[in-house]
Amino acid sequence: MGHEYVPEIAVDREGQEHKVQGWQDDLYGAKLGFWLFMFTEVLMFGAMFMALTYYFTLHHDDFLIASSSLNRVLGGTNTVVLLFSALTMGLGLLKMRHGDVKGAKLMIWATILLALVFLGIKAVEWTAEYHHGVFLGLDALQAGNEHSKPFGQILFFGMYFTMTGIHGFHIIIGIGIMLWLLKRINAGKVTPKHHILHFNIALYWDLVHLIWVFVFPYYYMIGAGLTGGAH
Amino acid sequence: MANTTKTYKEEQAGYFKVLAGLLLLTALTFIQPTMFMESATFTVQMLIGTVKAWLILMYYMHLKGEKLIITFTYFSLFIVLVFFVIVIGVDVANIQFAELNHITSGDTAHAVSETHGAAHAEPAHH
Repeated sequence: MGHEYVPEIAVDREGQEHKVQGWQDDLYGAKLGFWLFMFTEVLMFGAMFMALTYYFTLHHDDFLIASSSLNRVLGGTNTVVLLFSALTMGLGLLKMRHGDVKGAKLMIWATILLALVFLGIKAVEWTAEYHHGVFLGLDALQAGNEHSKPFGQILFFGMYFTMTGIHGFHIIIGIGIMLWLLKRINAGKVTPKHHILHFNIALYWDLVHLIWVFVFPYYYMIGAGLTGGAH
Repeated sequence: MANTTKTYKEEQAGYFKVLAGLLLLTALTFIQPTMFMESATFTVQMLIGTVKAWLILMYYMHLKGEKLIITFTYFSLFIVLVFFVIVIGVDVANIQFAELNHITSGDTAHAVSETHGAAHAEPAHH
């Protein structure tokens, strides 16, 4: 990604020197490659959504009851937090492209802060669920004991913790690569003329947001009509 | 970066317009289950999600004007549809012993008791 590129020289049979094509500034190629990576992410989450849909058709009522017990206020707050983080990330890239490196760095820090807020809210939510006895490994989510929830609800909560957990892991990865991006900007490796890394990290963050766009209604909202409000 | 000819102000305005749209759709997500089309919550929620996803893909992820990547996206969706829905769907629809499987049977109460206490019992009849 460094832009102090020294071209490789190839010598032909006649002894003439030719510059070998470098691909350091191939924004389109880098973008296309990153999209291919993101398709693998979509396939992973897509498979989980399909499994969820299949179980939903089998355990319809259990899924609605389980969904109605989730905290929609916290889930909704996180939705808005991610929405604004996508904006700050996008504006950061815009500033970088237009030469405002300081503004771009500020926007990346704002995105990191919002990502931490998201994780904090998620931690509060999971802690509350743990204290309600609903967490992976606890009796309520193990079939075959007196505290067991109905099997459909066990499936729902099992997938809820799995998918929101994997999503949260992607948020942590996102924070890590944003910190790395800041380091690259400070080192002068990412500049307004060479911002491929910034562009792809912004794409990654939008993908994380995109996945939440479906995770939130699927888990928090499908049973909202049962209680008419968050617990 | 399909729109390099746009000015900074124009692009910034575009980001805020999309934000307003996404916030509006998020508000719709919240009020829908208790305000309208209550009997079709799942479908409506997924439709709202799809519109939000489209806005994110086209404007925040700069897919607007990217013919090759959009073609790739449609192709991947086609692959997912064919392999995950049709092929696995046919497989699932014809699964053997479906009524004996505590995950696929959909009979929750029976499933738990079967898992708990009847591991060696005769297959249950529904």
